[in-house]
Amino acid sequence: MGSYETLRVALAIAAKDLLVEQRTKTAFFSSLVFAILVLTILYFARDATAVSDLDLAPGALWVTFTFAGMLGLNRAFLLERENRAVDGLRLSPATPTGIFLGKVLGNLVFVGVVELVSLPLFILFYDVPIWRQLGLLLLVIFLATTGFVAVGTLFSAIVVRTRFSEVMLPVLLLPFLFPPIVAAVQLTRRIVALRPFDELTGWLSMLAAFVVIFFFLSLLLFEAILEE
Amino acid sequence: MRSARRGTVITGLALLGLTGVYIRALVYTPMERLQGLAQKIFYVHAPAAWAALLAFAVTGLFSLLYLITRDRKFDLVASSSAEVGVAFSLVMLTTGPLWGKPVWGTWWTWDARLTSTLFIFLLFVGYLVLRGAFNDFEIRARFSAVLGVMALVLVPFIHVTVYWFRTLHPEPVLLKPDRPSLPGVMLTTLLISIGVFTALYVGFMMQRHALTVLRDIRDEETVDANA
Amino acid sequence: MTHADPSLTLHGVFRRFGYRWVVRDVSLDVAHGEAVLLVGGNGAGKTTLLRVVSGLLKASKGRVERQGAVGMVAHHTMMYDALTARENLRFFGRLHGRSDRTRIDALLDRMGLLHVGDERIGTFSRGMLQRLAIARALLPEPRVLLLDEPLTGLDDSASRTVVEVLAELKRGGAGMMIASHQLVELVGSADRVGYMVGGRMAALEPCGDAGQVVQRYRELADRG
Repeated sequence: MGSYETLRVALAIAAKDLLVEQRTKTAFFSSLVFAILVLTILYFARDATAVSDLDLAPGALWVTFTFAGMLGLNRAFLLERENRAVDGLRLSPATPTGIFLGKVLGNLVFVGVVELVSLPLFILFYDVPIWRQLGLLLLVIFLATTGFVAVGTLFSAIVVRTRFSEVMLPVLLLPFLFPPIVAAVQLTRRIVALRPFDELTGWLSMLAAFVVIFFFLSLLLFEAILEE
Repeated sequence: MRSARRGTVITGLALLGLTGVYIRALVYTPMERLQGLAQKIFYVHAPAAWAALLAFAVTGLFSLLYLITRDRKFDLVASSSAEVGVAFSLVMLTTGPLWGKPVWGTWWTWDARLTSTLFIFLLFVGYLVLRGAFNDFEIRARFSAVLGVMALVLVPFIHVTVYWFRTLHPEPVLLKPDRPSLPGVMLTTLLISIGVFTALYVGFMMQRHALTVLRDIRDEETVDANA
Repeated sequence: MTHADPSLTLHGVFRRFGYRWVVRDVSLDVAHGEAVLLVGGNGAGKTTLLRVVSGLLKASKGRVERQGAVGMVAHHTMMYDALTARENLRFFGRLHGRSDRTRIDALLDRMGLLHVGDERIGTFSRGMLQRLAIARALLPEPRVLLLDEPLTGLDDSASRTVVEVLAELKRGGAGMMIASHQLVELVGSADRVGYMVGGRMAALEPCGDAGQVVQRYRELADRG
């Protein structure tokens, strides 16, 4: 199976996942409503005289993205497990690489859309002067989300085989989100404070290293999860 | 089983050694001028952290070996090491605050090594919880090995993350490029204690591993008897 | 019995789950255009054997050689409830590199599902799902067809459709393994019967009528 074939399979799987999602919409709207609720609760869960909106905003943003994203990831392999559709995938010429990339792509679009819809609300709620720095913030969001989704896709394939998958996923996944989330919060803090770019490079390279390493590690290990 | 008995002997000797370390620490090693008696905890705290880290590395490396060879004996080593590692990381996590309160004036600090050990502990527990979720030993071995390898790569990232975030912990006292900053007598006590904790780890591991193997044989025989 | 050019060959296949050996030392080959019926009680290892033959499960020992694409029908539909019949076939067709509309329509038509092609399969009856699962299995033009209880939940006319399709595929040269309890309907399609007892292939013999097969199975099962 060549790289073109792998890409074709990945696109087919991602398109299928998004079509299913578009049909049911439950996961999308639950994640979105959840995100808005978390943003709101975090806003009020502080002493407004001691902690300013801007101090709170970066942490609030990433806690929200993390938990809303995890809601979406939980169902990523439930779909394949339901009628053993995953057997249908495995009987086809699709390689584990193609299947993994497809699932990651589908999840990335899903989590990405939830993030992009809640981002304006975040800017509005927390009154963050971000418009000029938006490109930089989107880059950070893209990087952290890619790392998060790659590891999350692998773990979602693991926990779907257990009985309490919705509890198991956060327990296994959150330690792995610690480095990218801390990096993303630090970066977001500097971006909203309009700090010069060279104050970003350290965390940015750490984040990028994490994403590259864990993306390929998850890709390699996925094959061991898929076999039976 | 012979290795179980040998493990018991090693554990026994190591426990005797631990008593020796404490007699040495309390009686023969001078009192640290600023930290006072609390500093004596250090002779358990640091070696326990070392043993937890060792256990973690063994789990990760044997997970990788399992994924490459699919030989069950590697899985049994990895899982035994994880269980032993939980014990050591708990010792490290409880002695840390006991020492931190009188010395730093706070029970807990988010310093790089303490936080990394907390994560090692959490990863170990997650690993063991995941193992408990599967009945089929082949799936259990394969899935937990994937987690073991992922965790091994993760911990350096966590360490760097916290280190960059901030660090309050005293500088590494042992492996400083120029020369160790710990006075000679204290250093000797610490090194002996590290040796003792390594022996303790090995002793625990041999017993835990022997238990795993025996359990395995029993389960296999039960199934054969029912077949 | 050996064939010069079998569509499927099993060499001493074993499979264990945990500590339990579910399939033990099964060897056979299936010629092109031949159908082997697997008969055995619950837990005899039929489903596991078919899953090993399909490649979904790894053999713990031994190996399987398959000539050409494999089509499989199992207890689960292996499809997505939220999608329509046509969307499901198009998706799996894409994975196999064959998603042209005419072919999918022909498959739907053959299984009598053309009129519900644009309905979500979550609303389908068991019989419709089973027929759709067969259509999915036929997507890659399989040379090897593995059917686990293909007639479960099908009424008389649907069963006949399936039996007809199987006969057609046999004539086309596909090798088949069919696990089923519905002997009366299927003995006509089978050339040989494999009797599974306790994970082993207790006997592999030419297929008689349903009464003879049941008789022979009881003999073998009693012998243990």
